[in-house]
Amino acid sequence: MDKKQREFKVLLVDDEDIFREATARQLSVRGFIVLTAESGEAAVESIKTDPPEVVVLDQQMPGMHGSDTFIAIKAIDPLIEVIMLTGNTSVDNAIEMMQMGTFDYLMKPINIDELLYKIEDAYTRKKLNEKQQREAKQ
Amino acid sequence: MLKKLAEFSKKFFFLNQKGRYPALEAEEVEALRLAFKSRYHNFKLLLAANSKILESMASIERALQGNESFSMSFVQTHCTAISVNVFRMINAMENISPGKYTELKDSFAAIQKQIDALLGARKKIDDRRLVIPLDAITSDMTDLVGSKMANLGDVKNKLQMNVPAGFGITAAAHELFMQTDGLQREIDRLFQVAGSDEDRNLDLVSSQIRQRIMTAEVPEAIYLAVVDAYSAMKAANHGQEIKMAVRSSAFGEDAENSSFAGQYRSELNVGFSQFFYHYKQVIASKYSVQAITYKFSRGFRDEDIAMCVGCLAMIDAVAGGVIYTRNPLDAKDDAIYINSTWGLPKTVVDGNDLCDLFVVRRDDDLTILRREVQHKGHRAVCLDGDGCARTATDEALADQPSLSDERIRELADHAVSIEQYYEMPQDIEWAIDNQGKIFILQSRPLQQMDTILPGPELDLDQFADSLIAEGGINASPGVACGEVFKVAKKIDILQFPEGAILVVEQALPAWAPLVARAAAVVSEQGGFAGHLANVAREFGIPAIFGAAGASAKMQNGDTVTVAADLTRVYQGSIAPLLEWTRPEPKLMLGSPVYESLKEISRHIIPLHLLDPESREFLPQNCQTFHDITRFIHEKSVVDMFNFGRDHSFSERSSKQLHYRVPMNWWILNLDDGFIHEIHGKYVKLEDIASIPMVAFWEGFAAIPWDGPPALDGKGMTSIMFRSTMNTALVSGVKSKYADRNYFLISKNYCTLSSRLGYHFCTMEAMVSDRSGENYLGFKFKGGAADFERCLGRVQFIREILERYGFRATINADNLDARIEGYDMEYMIGRLKILGYLTLHTRQLDMIMGNSALVNFYMNKLTKDINTLLA
Repeated sequence: MDKKQREFKVLLVDDEDIFREATARQLSVRGFIVLTAESGEAAVESIKTDPPEVVVLDQQMPGMHGSDTFIAIKAIDPLIEVIMLTGNTSVDNAIEMMQMGTFDYLMKPINIDELLYKIEDAYTRKKLNEKQQREAKQ
Repeated sequence: MLKKLAEFSKKFFFLNQKGRYPALEAEEVEALRLAFKSRYHNFKLLLAANSKILESMASIERALQGNESFSMSFVQTHCTAISVNVFRMINAMENISPGKYTELKDSFAAIQKQIDALLGARKKIDDRRLVIPLDAITSDMTDLVGSKMANLGDVKNKLQMNVPAGFGITAAAHELFMQTDGLQREIDRLFQVAGSDEDRNLDLVSSQIRQRIMTAEVPEAIYLAVVDAYSAMKAANHGQEIKMAVRSSAFGEDAENSSFAGQYRSELNVGFSQFFYHYKQVIASKYSVQAITYKFSRGFRDEDIAMCVGCLAMIDAVAGGVIYTRNPLDAKDDAIYINSTWGLPKTVVDGNDLCDLFVVRRDDDLTILRREVQHKGHRAVCLDGDGCARTATDEALADQPSLSDERIRELADHAVSIEQYYEMPQDIEWAIDNQGKIFILQSRPLQQMDTILPGPELDLDQFADSLIAEGGINASPGVACGEVFKVAKKIDILQFPEGAILVVEQALPAWAPLVARAAAVVSEQGGFAGHLANVAREFGIPAIFGAAGASAKMQNGDTVTVAADLTRVYQGSIAPLLEWTRPEPKLMLGSPVYESLKEISRHIIPLHLLDPESREFLPQNCQTFHDITRFIHEKSVVDMFNFGRDHSFSERSSKQLHYRVPMNWWILNLDDGFIHEIHGKYVKLEDIASIPMVAFWEGFAAIPWDGPPALDGKGMTSIMFRSTMNTALVSGVKSKYADRNYFLISKNYCTLSSRLGYHFCTMEAMVSDRSGENYLGFKFKGGAADFERCLGRVQFIREILERYGFRATINADNLDARIEGYDMEYMIGRLKILGYLTLHTRQLDMIMGNSALVNFYMNKLTKDINTLLA
């Protein structure tokens, strides 16, 4: 297993306790600093106080839906990258979410390594965007 | 950012006119580095998406061979994965070359629309009635009430036979039920989350889905319609309550060559107070493990199956059974086969006891040809309350025929009439009530197949010593060999090994999910009219039923040969008998799921944009997803290359490889392909950090090339002839392949397009510690010799590559090979092979007409490669 220390924060948002806890554990042992939230509302609060680099967000949640949560996250910090998870295979929805600006869209059940790659890629994108934004300001 | 880059470019251009290279500010260098990094990041995402698409396309192509079962969820998952990844590629391409290929999104939308239409295609139900009385049902109402009830409607209303009173709860009702509170959506979600076709825990997902259905509320509209229909039945019964049989009549159940027989639940002797509980049980049985397995194995689409429900007044039968209007195992035999037992016909269908068999000739007198009266130890009866029970038959009755001759003829007469009406052999369920009245409960098409007995040339006596059991009924013909596995409890199902011989006491419907995984079935009880026998015939699995005492003669793990046509079981593997084995039916071919995938794949897989040099190689000409990915892949490499060239930024301009001497190979660093920044014209091999390039080069340079092979006269003539035909080979004419040999590299990536001698090859590799994203692609074409010899060479290379795990295809004289998903060490070894072959297959096309030389080179190359990998 890939155990290198990644040392950046990932927020995992899912209402299914078993999935959330198991995935958080798998990501932690792979060196991420993992924060969790069980709802869209909790995720938004968490981001305000302890902003992560990447958010992994379940789309189907009671209360604040994944897409609304995504919009709220981007309103707080447009540079945070969001990876969407879904239990319903729907192309329309996937394309719509990617058009809205999610970094990627993964279907459950997820392959933990694939999720890991996506998180790393999303992090790389975020760092590049931050640098470019700094350059643009100068 | 882009504006800044444009300014830099102008600056370079201006200064270059003066013959000088610009002196860049540290800040400008940093900005350029960042721009390159950002582009390379997008390029990498694009390649990863491309790789995923190719994997999914390969899975679809494998599935379309029709050898393995797959579900609609497989189709959905792969189609969505491909669409999402194509969209990713378009986004990444847009980031690499903004605004350059805007038409790609239009092509994507057009293709996606066609796929959506096919994925979402389902029959629309126009008739919105929720309940239809049996008196008003006819056989053209299959899509409303399911085939079971539609057929029964004709038996009652057209043939005027006795059928219990009743009504059908329609497909529209099923749709309403499943749409209420998002039930169907939740089921789809549970199914998807349960994983791929291979990994899914069927027991778990089946129980989760059934639980959701059982806890859902029946919509009020259905409730009221059913109460109305039942009240009418009750009024006709002088106000007396009526016990009901609530049975599935799924739409799509009796499709051609598939029976769905007994897959779904039948709830017998149900009082109206419990009616809706049982209605839901029948609906939920669409998701029983056996029904899911069956749909999967036969390629039925879940969404095509509407669970219509048939509700009939319960007949408390004195005797009942199943009639086959012809012999299911011999198409030439037109006798009528009546299976009969005491009590409800359920015992015959469930196959959990022996039953009588009466065979009747189709003549004017309906002559009874055979009477096989069995000991019918048990029978199924209606309880005074709800439900039924299996009870011991009175001793006096157990050995008596369950039908009189008069009844046998009467049933045979019914059978002939029904068969004539439907113009095909039928499988008919019947019952006789305590007034002696015959009722028809079901009629559906009968599948027939032939028994094949060995010819006189095969002396069966020679195997007599191996014979361990003989007797019973050939329930499904064929011969198979495997290891014995006895199944007694449901828990045994989980341990059942693929390809084993299923040995059971009773031929219960519960064992149906194992049939498709078994090599053959041996059951101590049961007849050929039971559900399990139907399933075995459908799947082409040999089966012997009613083989009393056979189980005791076999031990788990014994290898046995089951010859169903002979109703014999032999110890060990009897090869001459196995030669009889008929080809396994490819059940997926032509199934709805298969056809869906085939149709959809037409918008995904075919490649129309073949030649990047063609004027037609345009985003608006992409007709399939493959075209889009091919277009983007080609353009992204070119644009990455041009970006480096256009911004003649010393760190990112192409360098000539210096390997002992300057070589005719140029290298463009996309990101982190060099160990340190290289200034000047040359780069040495030791300065290259690209893992795939170094590995390829190791293979390329490991063993010196002996020079061109010695030509025979024919090879030389072939080249001279080709030289006059092919302008690319004539010196002085610029070939389209005559560009330099370029490597584009980063630490984990490398692509090469090269021309060595007269052939052209491209190699692309991603090799990192992300095994799941690793891949190697290799394309090879051309040559100096004629087409046959060029083809001979690519076949020669394919043979070698396949030996080392590549997937390779040949189209005309183009070889396309790929391997993916392995760890770094493995991929490095494969890259060395590609490097070696790129050099050493040079000019081998010329000797392809000479088999001795071909063998010589095959041995030499194999030996060299093994040395290389050692």
